[in-house]
Amino acid sequence: MTAITLLWVGLPFFVGFSIYLLPQADRILAFGVSLASLAYATGIFLLSDPIELHLLDSFGVTLLVDDLSAFFILTNALVTAAVILYTWISPKSAFFCTQTIILHGSVNAALICADLISLYVALEVIGIAAFLLISYPRSDKTLWVALRYLFVSNTAMLFYLIGAILVYQATQSFAFVSLGMASVEAKALILLGLLTKGGIFISGLWLPLTHSESESPVSALLSGVVVKAGVFPLVRMALLIESIDPVIRFFGVATAVLGVVYAMVEKDTKRMLAFHTISQMGFVLAAPEVGGFYALTHGLVKSSLFLTAGNLSSRSFKVLKEQPIHRPIWIALVIASFSISGFPLLSGFGAKILTMKNLADWQVIAMNIAALGTAISFAKFIFLPQHPDPSQAAKPGFWPATILLLGGLVAANGVYYEAYTVKNVVKPLVTIFLGWLAYLFIVRRITLKLPQVAENFEHLIGVMGLTILGLLGMVLPWLDI
Amino acid sequence: MELGGSTILYACVYATILMGFLGIIFKENLVMKIIAMDVMSTGVVALFVLVAARTGVRTPILTASPLTPYADPVPQAVILTAIVIGFSIQALMLVGVMKLAKDNPTLEIRAIEEEYRP
Repeated sequence: MTAITLLWVGLPFFVGFSIYLLPQADRILAFGVSLASLAYATGIFLLSDPIELHLLDSFGVTLLVDDLSAFFILTNALVTAAVILYTWISPKSAFFCTQTIILHGSVNAALICADLISLYVALEVIGIAAFLLISYPRSDKTLWVALRYLFVSNTAMLFYLIGAILVYQATQSFAFVSLGMASVEAKALILLGLLTKGGIFISGLWLPLTHSESESPVSALLSGVVVKAGVFPLVRMALLIESIDPVIRFFGVATAVLGVVYAMVEKDTKRMLAFHTISQMGFVLAAPEVGGFYALTHGLVKSSLFLTAGNLSSRSFKVLKEQPIHRPIWIALVIASFSISGFPLLSGFGAKILTMKNLADWQVIAMNIAALGTAISFAKFIFLPQHPDPSQAAKPGFWPATILLLGGLVAANGVYYEAYTVKNVVKPLVTIFLGWLAYLFIVRRITLKLPQVAENFEHLIGVMGLTILGLLGMVLPWLDI
Repeated sequence: MELGGSTILYACVYATILMGFLGIIFKENLVMKIIAMDVMSTGVVALFVLVAARTGVRTPILTASPLTPYADPVPQAVILTAIVIGFSIQALMLVGVMKLAKDNPTLEIRAIEEEYRP
């Protein structure tokens, strides 16, 4: 299995660059790579023991593949496959496929890291590949969005590097486990880097603009898998190091609530979805033991929602209320919205139940409020008007992608079928019902516009300084670390 | 803590990092911001070299009599990777800025943000 793991990590990079030699076969090659990842993830689920690889004479350089990684790898494989299906007939060049596959490979690499330096390299490659994908249309606006993304992520990674060397200085090792023995400053710097990369809490406010202004397939990739490459190490650290666990849970709750507040009042479809991604990352972090399954369902649902949003006639909810949506598209939209609100029969239900079961006592109230907020936000989609007129049919490639993603969502029910008890089924139904009532009678009638000033570039960088101070001065000492 | 040579060096390195960080926030021109980021990453590189030198400053080459205290090769190997990555990211960003400069010749970040706000 060691050899297979190494081959599988190298494959996307090899194929990615070969696409330039065989541009005619770009879609097929790219699709093949995502199928290989799918097969690999399935293989990991079937193995009973996790795979651990150590660099010879290592300084803590370790790769670790277990069920948690397998969930994330599966997400990555399905989302990439769906995006390639979506762009199959579009005029996107071989360059787009190359970048998609290199992004896929670097996300895979990040998902099996168990040391700080391999992770650093993987995250930086992700940054570059994502930059090239966001700026693919070559318009000035996308160029600026991409530049802003790369700038923020690179600055965050510089802080991360400082943290990494402090860990090495204290423990002579780069492994995640040695973070537990490192100084508070080192922990704070590493956390800052990963919180920013993963779009968590106020460090994640770069995310809405980046994810909403990219093209739909790129948004789907960014929200479906790229943010998870920043969240995964946080989950891994929370599981490996006991003292980090409460910090991660704290940030999970804070993010879940912050994101959903923004999502509830947002009037633009893609920005709403982007804010909601921030909130869902909070759900992944709030219960790290079961974060993998939650990440899988979120990846599938959010990428299908972004692809659907790209096929609507407008991005504004106000306009969409007057222009009915083509019925099949509306049905896809509603299925995805139901899953993310936690409706039974779709795996969003199992994921939410599992997460709620693994919360600490102090998290429960806030996370239930966040779940209610999710139901309210997605009521905006569910209550949009629809009609059977086929004049606004979806782009070709939309249906294969959506069927793959939504099919995955139904199939993933099998992971946690024990969730189907009467008590578990009633609770999300009540939540969704209350959410709809709140939407129809309160949220729909108020027009509240939250200021976007916090998303200015300089504030994004400045917030990093504040987060460091916050981590050092309040969060870490308060949690007694 | 004694105020020896290495403490002062550490202070200088951290000051470089901090100045780079403040430069990213306070410089108004996009190119200046990128240069400030470079200053910050220079500081980080220097920190790695300084940490590597804490066991000695000799080149870590195995000889017949390895008695002199030698530098730790691991942080140096790591930072070499980071330098390459940092430099390629910077090149990529400067290309982006060059393209952006065609329509925004001043490259003032406030004006750019105002223009491309959704």
